[in-house]
Amino acid sequence: MNIKTSHIVKTYKQKEVLHLEGQHGELFFESGQIHGIIGPNGSGKTTLMKIMAGLIAPSSGTVHYNDHPLCQDIFSQMTYSTHTPTLFSRSVYDNIAYPLKIRNYEKELLHQTVNQLLEEFEIKNIANQNARHLSGGESQKTALARALSFSPKVLFLDEPTANIDPKSIQLIETALKKRNRDQGLTIIIITHNLSQAFRICTHLTFLDQGICLFSDTPEKIMASTHPTIDEFISFNRF
Amino acid sequence: MDYILNGFVEAFRLIFSFDPEIIQIVLLSLFVSFSSTLYGTLIGVPLGILLGINNFRGKKVVSRLLYTFMSFPPVIIGLFTALFLARSGPFGQFQLMYTPTAMIIAQTILVTPVIMGIVFNHASTSGYEVVQTGKTLGAQGLDVLILLVLELKGVIMIALVTGFGRAISEVGAVMIVGGNIRGFTRVMTTFIAMNNNMGQYSVSIAMGLILMTISFITNSVLYHFIIGDQNEYQD
Repeated sequence: MNIKTSHIVKTYKQKEVLHLEGQHGELFFESGQIHGIIGPNGSGKTTLMKIMAGLIAPSSGTVHYNDHPLCQDIFSQMTYSTHTPTLFSRSVYDNIAYPLKIRNYEKELLHQTVNQLLEEFEIKNIANQNARHLSGGESQKTALARALSFSPKVLFLDEPTANIDPKSIQLIETALKKRNRDQGLTIIIITHNLSQAFRICTHLTFLDQGICLFSDTPEKIMASTHPTIDEFISFNRF
Repeated sequence: MDYILNGFVEAFRLIFSFDPEIIQIVLLSLFVSFSSTLYGTLIGVPLGILLGINNFRGKKVVSRLLYTFMSFPPVIIGLFTALFLARSGPFGQFQLMYTPTAMIIAQTILVTPVIMGIVFNHASTSGYEVVQTGKTLGAQGLDVLILLVLELKGVIMIALVTGFGRAISEVGAVMIVGGNIRGFTRVMTTFIAMNNNMGQYSVSIAMGLILMTISFITNSVLYHFIIGDQNEYQD
């Protein structure tokens, strides 16, 4: 699903936190790609993502999905997960099964889908544990398995690998790339890890203080001479 | 000290004698308090959730009013209910004054803000995240409400038991609207108050023990549902 944002502005308590005007007033997130949104803290990344995911409304500007405005049908094909996911107070299995249950999946198909995800994310051993008592990595993997369970067309991820071990990061990245390659899943990911952005993203958007400074391929960002981008990249190298 | 000890001895004798009047009083108390808790739950839980998860102008004023009503003295509620139900009041035609129905109405007014306030508080803090997450996973309308109720089930249980505790232990409201009529509107608390005034401490102590036993049982049920539930998942 292609997503196009036009001249988005978001104001919180009379303070402008996102102002996408001028050269990068329109942002295009092509279907079937992995898009990274990067930038320092407080640059408006999460706000932009929540607006695109339909979770908050912009103060002005528009978002179109395959040239259509947001509607329930489009909303139900997208999902959103953060680095502090809200897992429901039930077992890991039931958390992953939740999106399938409300879509009235047949029992057998539901069981098969959930089991595949439990194995893929290596969380079968905690399937019966209450999801509120998991470690950071286990929570992230459970949240991601749950988000992918109903095969959405667009997946929004806000720092999905923050504060988790390298093995889990690799596992999550592999799963994301596989979904993107095999199912054409469009992924929009916020990350502070530049090397991760280069590993998995096909397109990068750089935000700073609510303004978009850059939106192009990862290779081109390296060649950017903008001082803020240059500084951000330099810090990430160390 | 002797009269206290004798009171306890007499109390146990009274409990195990299965006095029909005592049984009738206990059953009426339970009926009135369970009914008012049920109505309070049916009103307070959906309203508490609705007000908690939505942001609207004046939400702070609503929460302050709600918390004020949570601590409203039962006698004041009894007084206002009596004014409305009295023969010359707006609902006098229904002739509800000094009936168990009037007691249920007064206690419902008493417990609804308690249940609503507890649910409202938790729905405000954690309900919004649950709703947002549910929606991003495809939940709509009734799905969201069911999800929220299930996620807040522990809190709802606490609200329910707190509401029941307030209902069964209050004396002011039921005394005013019920009138403590023997065999008709006499409940445990009004019975204790009356016998205490008459110097009959043994029956007061007996009823007090029954009241405490009921409180212990309801709290044990709560413990089983909430703490027991958590232990099950930590295996």
